[in-house]
Amino acid sequence: MPSITAHASMASRNLLAAPRTASFSTSCLRFALPPKGKASQAGPPARGQKSLHLKKSARPRDTGKRPALGERKMLRKRIVLSNTNALEVHGMKDLNGKNLRAEAVKGAVVGLPEPVVDSLRAVEAFKTTQGWNMFRRPATLMRKESLQIAAFVDDVEAAVGKKTVRKIIVGDRASGKSTLLLQGLAMAFLRNWVVINIPEAKDLVIGHTEYAPLPGSNPTQYTQDAYTSNLLSQIARSNSAVLSKYCITTDHKLSILLPPSTTLAKLAELGANTPELSWPIFTALWTELTQPDRPPIMLAIDGVGHIMNNSAYLSADAQLVHAHDLALVRHFVDHLSGRTTLPNGGIVLAATSGSNQPASPALEFSIQLAEARAKNPIDLPNWNPYKTVDQRSLQSLKDVDVLKLNGLSKEEARAIMEYYAASGMLRRTVDERLVSETWTLAGNGNIGELEKGSVRLRM
Amino acid sequence: MSQGELSRSLIRAIASIGSLSRPHARPRIRFPRRTLHPASFQCFSTGPIRKSELVSRSSGNSIAAPPIDFDEDAIDEQDEKQDEKAEKLLKTLRIVPASPSYFSAKPDFTDSLISLQALLRKYATLPVVPPGHAPRVAWKTVAQFRLVVNEPIKSAKYHRIIELLHRLNHIHPALMPAEVTQALDRYKRDINPHDNKAKPGVIDDVGRSKGVGRRKTSSAVAWLVEGEGEVLVNGKTLAQMFGRLHDRESAVWALKSTQRLDKYNVWALVKGGGVTGQAEALTLAVAKALLVHEPMLKPALRRAGCVTRDPRKVERKKAGHVKARKMPTWVKR
Repeated sequence: MPSITAHASMASRNLLAAPRTASFSTSCLRFALPPKGKASQAGPPARGQKSLHLKKSARPRDTGKRPALGERKMLRKRIVLSNTNALEVHGMKDLNGKNLRAEAVKGAVVGLPEPVVDSLRAVEAFKTTQGWNMFRRPATLMRKESLQIAAFVDDVEAAVGKKTVRKIIVGDRASGKSTLLLQGLAMAFLRNWVVINIPEAKDLVIGHTEYAPLPGSNPTQYTQDAYTSNLLSQIARSNSAVLSKYCITTDHKLSILLPPSTTLAKLAELGANTPELSWPIFTALWTELTQPDRPPIMLAIDGVGHIMNNSAYLSADAQLVHAHDLALVRHFVDHLSGRTTLPNGGIVLAATSGSNQPASPALEFSIQLAEARAKNPIDLPNWNPYKTVDQRSLQSLKDVDVLKLNGLSKEEARAIMEYYAASGMLRRTVDERLVSETWTLAGNGNIGELEKGSVRLRM
Repeated sequence: MSQGELSRSLIRAIASIGSLSRPHARPRIRFPRRTLHPASFQCFSTGPIRKSELVSRSSGNSIAAPPIDFDEDAIDEQDEKQDEKAEKLLKTLRIVPASPSYFSAKPDFTDSLISLQALLRKYATLPVVPPGHAPRVAWKTVAQFRLVVNEPIKSAKYHRIIELLHRLNHIHPALMPAEVTQALDRYKRDINPHDNKAKPGVIDDVGRSKGVGRRKTSSAVAWLVEGEGEVLVNGKTLAQMFGRLHDRESAVWALKSTQRLDKYNVWALVKGGGVTGQAEALTLAVAKALLVHEPMLKPALRRAGCVTRDPRKVERKKAGHVKARKMPTWVKR
């Protein structure tokens, strides 16, 4: 104290040199970065002085072999339909053309015959997310909705005026929509129908496949030649038995010469090999298929929400192309909406997706409307006029019915769990208690969750 | 100090000693009898007044000197000499403690214990109810008892009192003496928590029972009805509501652990908090609703951990801390 009073000038200098913060809060000081140490200001060590040198170790370089081009995608897309470690299920019936609605297959797990499996594989009906790789051979549960599809198949064949059934398959996530579509395709194959399947609608609209305006179309439509030729090759491979029975009947004015004895299978193969002609050949094939005395057609698409909006393609004036302006999509949507009917009868199935569905208010509202219509045709919901909606999609889905997939019944759940146990994938006694517990935990019998809870999750 | 001052004060002190009179020098003066001064009866401890409600009055057999008898003096006293007499009397008065426990370390406690022991001795032969069948009573805690007697009672010592109370409480209610009831009342808590009975749940006219459960910041209401195992939470199925299988199992754990999953349908509403909180709030709600249908399941549900509400919550952040407990990094200056 005396020093400050004695040297007033020094005291004032000290105060200036160390400005103190107000003592109300110490937070600023405590949160401040630590001041730089003296060492950092000292500079490099003097000459002759020893200092610690730490060598930077080189980052360990990954010397492993890179996967070849397309190998990763191949692994990702690979469909495995067999597990040699799983047990063969004895006494399991195979599905065939005659027993689609037989008592023996109702609510039972049935195997898919070898040729049908090949065809289904050709049309990419199997998905990687489905559990085919856990069992000895592909088999499906003939649930209530599968039998409904079988009934449609019978209806179409029995109808005099060649009926066209149009359905959108809706349901919760993992409720078996894609599998139901697969079952429909399998039934069509078994009844020797012509099957045309678009395995993933998303591939058509996300701009990953080349497109070109269709000459002479107004408004402009766009063809997707690479995709169409691939589709034609799928059609040719999967339906070869049926298509090779029929020859072309009309002159299609294609730019290549077709001999009159060309079978439809040959025609499809031709389209598969010449992508630039794939769209005209597809239309020619379609014309041939809709001639009298040709088999019924099964048209199917998965992930239908993707084609109910603008696509990612741009028109010449840099506007987004509506998905319905893509020729292939338009072809499908015309049949789904009922604008065009199948003269030889057939089924048009479109499945929504629970996990990969873009927001499509038109589709959502159409599904609501169809469900309300099925309940009570008088009291229908109204579209909120203040919401924007894709009118073209709304129009096209105006009178499509839905096939709602609910959970399995307890009996169906028991059948599939017994199949799991017989395959050796579920190592527990399948009794009433286990079935009902798994059924409840799977969200009232959601089949995907049932599989996840009993087979995939090994506890 | 001067010499004269000291001598003066000494003289004064000696004079005052000489004027003192002692009881043994005047044996005719008796000690006052307690019965004459009922209003002035007090314990001689330093505790608050209310302690007297606990401490029973002991019988007069003091180990100290006999009480003073005022009778003779009261009769032959003359009015004019009253002041003088009173002064004399006060000088001869000897204070006698109310209870012999006065000379113990914890007199009020000792009195309480002795009086209860005496009660038990007196009524030991009365019939008792079998263990566990006595009316449930919440006795004062040792802390509350300490407040009353204002003595540093250890809990082990207080436990001796509690044991006596427990034994007395087991006297058959039909034969319970009023004296014992009064004594027990002194040790009861002001509010008996066992009198609060939970309202029993009811099954309504359509067979539903309701249960409410909470966990973290979630709260759930579940209605249980006999059925075949369907569960809807906020209008969604379990699989739609909870992505994890673990959460689904938590939500219906009460039913699963008691093997009732296929016997009831659940319709529940849950709000607040996160996924786990909601699932575990449902556990409690479903368990409570199940207890309405089947009260006998309570032990099983308790073993399954479905009965007790988990009281843990996020600890609040404190001023000066980065989080609830974390302190800021130490910074030199």
